[in-house]
Amino acid sequence: MSNSNLFLKSGFVRAPLQNGVGRYVCQLQRIVLKFCKSHGGSRGLRDFIEQDLVDFASNNPGVVVYLKPRRHRSPVVVAEYLNGDRVWMNMHNKTHSEITKWIEVLRTQQGDIASTRLRKYQYTDYPSVQGPWTPFTFKDPKLNVAELPNEEFGANNRLPMSATEQLRIMFEKQTLDVKPQEE
Amino acid sequence: MSLLWKSAPILKNLVKYVPAATRVQKIHRWVAPTLMELKRREDKLGGKITNPRNTFLEWNLEAELFAFGKRLNEEFDSDLLLQAFTDRSYVIKEEMKQKEIEFNIKMKDNKELAEEGEKFIEQYIQVYLETVLPKFPLEGISGIKAHLTCEETLANISLHLGTKDIILASEYPVDNYILAKTFKAIVGALLRSAGEERAAHFVRDFVITQLQGKDINEYWKIEDPWIMLVDILEKDGIKIEPRLIGEVGKNTLLACYRVGLYVDKKLFSSGFGETVSSAKEVAALEALKKIFGTEDSMAPINFKLQGIQKTVSKQHKQISAS
Repeated sequence: MSNSNLFLKSGFVRAPLQNGVGRYVCQLQRIVLKFCKSHGGSRGLRDFIEQDLVDFASNNPGVVVYLKPRRHRSPVVVAEYLNGDRVWMNMHNKTHSEITKWIEVLRTQQGDIASTRLRKYQYTDYPSVQGPWTPFTFKDPKLNVAELPNEEFGANNRLPMSATEQLRIMFEKQTLDVKPQEE
Repeated sequence: MSLLWKSAPILKNLVKYVPAATRVQKIHRWVAPTLMELKRREDKLGGKITNPRNTFLEWNLEAELFAFGKRLNEEFDSDLLLQAFTDRSYVIKEEMKQKEIEFNIKMKDNKELAEEGEKFIEQYIQVYLETVLPKFPLEGISGIKAHLTCEETLANISLHLGTKDIILASEYPVDNYILAKTFKAIVGALLRSAGEERAAHFVRDFVITQLQGKDINEYWKIEDPWIMLVDILEKDGIKIEPRLIGEVGKNTLLACYRVGLYVDKKLFSSGFGETVSSAKEVAALEALKKIFGTEDSMAPINFKLQGIQKTVSKQHKQISAS
């Protein structure tokens, strides 16, 4: 399937709001854990809430954690980011350790990155350090004062020597060697 | 019927040119009319309703304000922070409500804090830029400052700090003006609750860092760079001489000239252009960048200066480009 068939928005690897140049700001702003208190599908999420949630909240005071018990519905985690993205993730039948890992993913990513197609794996503000090529780059300064047409600058020295030329030079050499013997 | 027969060869040709292998996604005939009908019913009920985040069941303003401070690693006074998030429109709306039920609780809006914050932001950015760009003239610095403190930039910063949902306003989504004003008020609140230095570092980390990866020369439009360059150099008694040092494609659409500026027979700067005069102008701009220390190869701006710098305006050149 080609890119035109994927309804993914495209983007580059960028940090939001120059994050990290000044200070680092965790981009996850709030997380809502929706679960059922009795249903088996929510077992993993309930375990997570019982064992890890207090630690998670105290380690990340910048993330607002909401719990939303709902009767007989699948467990869901909704993460909201500072750039306005909202990631909805179904946690039905996921185990405690899987949920711990997914929540770590949600905490450390900077937005809904799963729904963007990266155009490139790198990004730079300065594609070239030395500047773009111009007709004057690498030009011999001698040319400025030369009077054109000039044999030195007009010579075509870009092509390799042809076979005919090589033969001609060999022949000339031979004649030079032969001549002194005759005299 | 006869028309159909007449057009039969044309239809045959058409069939020939349709490539058989193209796969066209099948969209059922009922989809478009159904969507249109749904849209019509939605419009009839008064358009699409988007509920602001703070009307959700899972919303706790106190927790949000606490997390806001912690996220930015700052200690805010909670009352001041709440005041910073209260817009004038919200206060008016609340007062109207209270009048109806004959109840009276005084509320403060963020106008005062925003004014305080704005003043501080302007002052600090001015001083910081003067320290970081010691050779850059004051006009240029005020150009950069105007860019950093414009509504658009501040609203963008405010949005990415997560104020959008917390702001107390009468209407949602909030507009850029309220976002920018809230950001200024937050700086004002920080100024009151944690002191000048913390507030200064806050402005440095979130506002001034927006210059990262940007060309600062873009924020200052120099009307006539050649005249400005000659004026500056004349004060030091230096004469500058422009020379045509290269031309390519003369009398064509793609003509390119290169002009070099020489001081004491040494190349100072060079520039390209489609005509000789525009090339000279570009060369003058390059020379000015060299003089101001803002050439393309300049070292990145230092975003780590600690504390509040002292004003150094007197050392700076005031240049009027006439």
